[in-house]
Amino acid sequence: MARIYQVPSHARLWLTLAIIAASLPQFQDGPWWQALLLLVVLGWRALLDHQRLAQPGRLVRLGLLLATVGATFYSYGRLHGPEAGSALITSLFALKYLELVGKRDAYVLIVLGYFVCATILLFHRGPLAALYVLGCLTLLTASLAGINYSDTHARRRQHLTVAAAMLLQALPLALVLFVLVPRVAPLWNMQLDSGQARTGMSDSMSPGQVSRLTESSELAFRVQFDGSPPPPEQRYWRGLTYSYFDGGTWRQARPPGWGDTDTLYNGRGPQPPWYRDLRAAARGPAWEYRVIMEPSQQRWLYALAVPFTNLDGQGLARDLRLVADNPVSGSYSYRVRSVPAAAEGVTLNGPERRLMLDLPARGNQRARDLAASWRQRYPDDDDLVRVALRYFREQPFHYTLEPPRLAGDTVDGFLFNTRRGFCEHYASGFTFLMRAAGIPARVVAGYQGGERNGDYLQIRQYDAHAWSEVWLNGRWQRVDPTAAVAPERIELGLRGLVEQRADSGGDAVTGALGRLPVLFRLRQWMDYVDFNWQKWVLGYRQEDQRALIERLLGAFTPTRVALALVGAVLLVCAALAVVILARRRDDPARPLEREFGRLRRGLARRGLDVSACHSAAALEAAVGRRWPGSAARAGHWRRYFEYLAYRRDGDPPRAELHQLGRRRRALLSGLNAGADRA
Amino acid sequence: MVKNAWQRWLDRRLPRARQVRLDQRRIFILPTGYGLLYLTVAVLLFFGGINYENNLILALCFLMVSLFLVAILHTFRNLSGLMLRAGGGRSGFVGGQGSLEVVLIARRRPHRALWLRWLDQAAQETSVEPGEETSLWLNLPLRRRGPVLPPRLRVESRYPLGLLRAWSLVALDQECLAWPRPLESADCPAEGGDRERRVARAGQSGSEEFRGLRGYVPGDSLSQVDWKGYARGRGLNVKLFEEPASGRLWLRYDRTEERPLEQRLSILCYWVLRLSRENRPFALVLPGAELAPGQGDEQRLRALDLLARHGKEG
Repeated sequence: MARIYQVPSHARLWLTLAIIAASLPQFQDGPWWQALLLLVVLGWRALLDHQRLAQPGRLVRLGLLLATVGATFYSYGRLHGPEAGSALITSLFALKYLELVGKRDAYVLIVLGYFVCATILLFHRGPLAALYVLGCLTLLTASLAGINYSDTHARRRQHLTVAAAMLLQALPLALVLFVLVPRVAPLWNMQLDSGQARTGMSDSMSPGQVSRLTESSELAFRVQFDGSPPPPEQRYWRGLTYSYFDGGTWRQARPPGWGDTDTLYNGRGPQPPWYRDLRAAARGPAWEYRVIMEPSQQRWLYALAVPFTNLDGQGLARDLRLVADNPVSGSYSYRVRSVPAAAEGVTLNGPERRLMLDLPARGNQRARDLAASWRQRYPDDDDLVRVALRYFREQPFHYTLEPPRLAGDTVDGFLFNTRRGFCEHYASGFTFLMRAAGIPARVVAGYQGGERNGDYLQIRQYDAHAWSEVWLNGRWQRVDPTAAVAPERIELGLRGLVEQRADSGGDAVTGALGRLPVLFRLRQWMDYVDFNWQKWVLGYRQEDQRALIERLLGAFTPTRVALALVGAVLLVCAALAVVILARRRDDPARPLEREFGRLRRGLARRGLDVSACHSAAALEAAVGRRWPGSAARAGHWRRYFEYLAYRRDGDPPRAELHQLGRRRRALLSGLNAGADRA
Repeated sequence: MVKNAWQRWLDRRLPRARQVRLDQRRIFILPTGYGLLYLTVAVLLFFGGINYENNLILALCFLMVSLFLVAILHTFRNLSGLMLRAGGGRSGFVGGQGSLEVVLIARRRPHRALWLRWLDQAAQETSVEPGEETSLWLNLPLRRRGPVLPPRLRVESRYPLGLLRAWSLVALDQECLAWPRPLESADCPAEGGDRERRVARAGQSGSEEFRGLRGYVPGDSLSQVDWKGYARGRGLNVKLFEEPASGRLWLRYDRTEERPLEQRLSILCYWVLRLSRENRPFALVLPGAELAPGQGDEQRLRALDLLARHGKEG
């Protein structure tokens, strides 16, 4: 006979709370019917528990299950994948709750609960989400403790206390495992297809058409330097280069006929010659830093020129930028070593050189004429670049974030008519002039500057920038025409929160936040927490683990890691065993005896030793002999002590113990005052 | 063979005692099926975390594993320090059930959701809070006459999380007696004061002369209590009867029919019970043992115990 062990009533509350808590995030992430389902199940369950409804039959349950699966398919078009899977498992979790009868169901429910917790973490990764999941875990654990304790005398609170204590004790051990358990590379590739809007840079640039630059103060990435960071005017974070111009739009391009291996090396296969040249030239001073990117849904990464990485998950492109193997869909961190001198190792010949000089056959004639006139007067490339920059500086160009729209020949329109624009306009105009004058040039898009917060830099969307690179003296050299027009843009950064506020109409909330120093501070502080979270928790990867273990153990070998892991786990377990299994001190179990002991110790500190086996009356007498002034207070204490001790069996209630404690403190502090007078 | 070796090992490691305190030498601990399922979930989460490159899911997995490890200590602690003491015993007839009392004493720690059972019996659950003690009566089937040593007592607990099962096999030095199963027989194997072998008036009651009442003392037969008087509020009294001259019967083993030992004891048992029911004094004479004449519940129990122990050492 199979005996059904009921779920004890005192465990029910935690189970219900665990289900609600674990399902709540799905209201936001999941389809609309999810909330409905949970409400129906909770309501039904409540009626069931009050015997207003019968347990749903097999047919009803099957119907509900099919409906849920159908609805999931309807919402996502499939049943696998993270989103659909999360929706499905959360629904099953709710449905299982409906048919909860015995302990066995509760066990299944709780195991499902752990999965649901994991699905929450698929979509929410902040510190708060982690805390929330920890809360869910506490509730699940409390439910487990509850169903394993069928005594009817058990108290609800007891289960929560047990669960919280156990989780607290488990945390240090979990930390050890988190730090030391080797991270394996993904066994198969799973991408989260979050349909988030792309933010930040785009893969093309049309200066005439976009009349407003992004004013978002959203974070683009963070950088932490080993040592001090370079000064602001050198912080050019390269992301993309645009080499092809069709008259209106700048685009990425590679010379006709070139393949992937000619332009990108991601560590697989033999090193192409251009990569070897670059590495050979990588000598001299370097910046070492770690970049932690926010999700951009793009493959390009940001770094100072010329960036080298360990090529694990990213590659180096021939135009001296980093490209990730997969679009950055979550927070992504990588270490970079930037060697400016390595730029010497680049060559520019043949089709690539032709691409860098390429202009549309027609259009923007005035600009071409201007470039041709400069070329005649200044045969030297250096001189010509200097003249072009002077042109931007001396002519009445204005730096503005809201330039007028341009139509037709956008370069001409900007250079000779409106003369109002932001970095894209200047970079586009300058590069066009250079190419027209026969100097290979390209536009670089990325971010410039960055704001310090603690020991790292924050680079926000409003730091987005575009500049030019021209081929001078056998290497690519950075030329920023915007700096010629608005040097403060480069030195101070666009931000100056004031400007940002003044120019942003839509982003009023951040603007208002920026105005209040306290809130600004708070925001910076939150970002600091977030940064460290990203860096140490979300971004803790193989290479960090490697570096840490090398620092701790000297070398990263499998045996050492295994030994360290086993050793650390044993050590923590031993410490936990001491804490958990330690015999409690044999202190008097009765609160009144403890109270007596406290007074005795208090008196001993003041120079009066009373034996532990004295009675309360003997203690009063001893105090009275030593400090006659306090005899009355001692009597006060003694009478109450005896009243509590002999009035009844068992321990006195807490309030009365507090009262006794107050009398003890009054007695002891009275002794102090008396001593002062004496 | 293996079973015997296991028993021998157990006997060496955990010898019988009146009182046993559970400690690491006596406690075994292994994951339950649910614990293994839980670990499987943790492993699945590990692969999930690796594949989605999600450190938080990995952290969740590690936390679950750590919780499991912590649960080992807690489950162990729930049994560790528990004292078990052999309590009283209630004897029974062969084929029925006896029961033995086990006293559980908690000293510093609570011991919750403890399941106690003899190896082949249904379990009983109990909990003890620190400084308290509680006792359980555990039934024991009686298959053979004589003193019955209980098999090892299995004390088990899955508290707090049900992921692990900690248990101990305790051998408490206690026993209960299996009385012979009564076997009806027409002839009373007795010699009485009137030298009659046949107890003609056995079925009739009220043959004795009523002498008066006296206050009830424990041990008096309940069938002698003056219930009518008790109902009228005169207190619990026992009716006293004049012992008829012919009443004192000596039940003798050698007076029983020539039958196997057990059956002869069963017949004696039947008469002990019958005479007790009729409130007649009797004495019992077995080869090598004798019970002085007497009557009442105590006499009956003594007689039964004597029958149970007959021929068994101790």
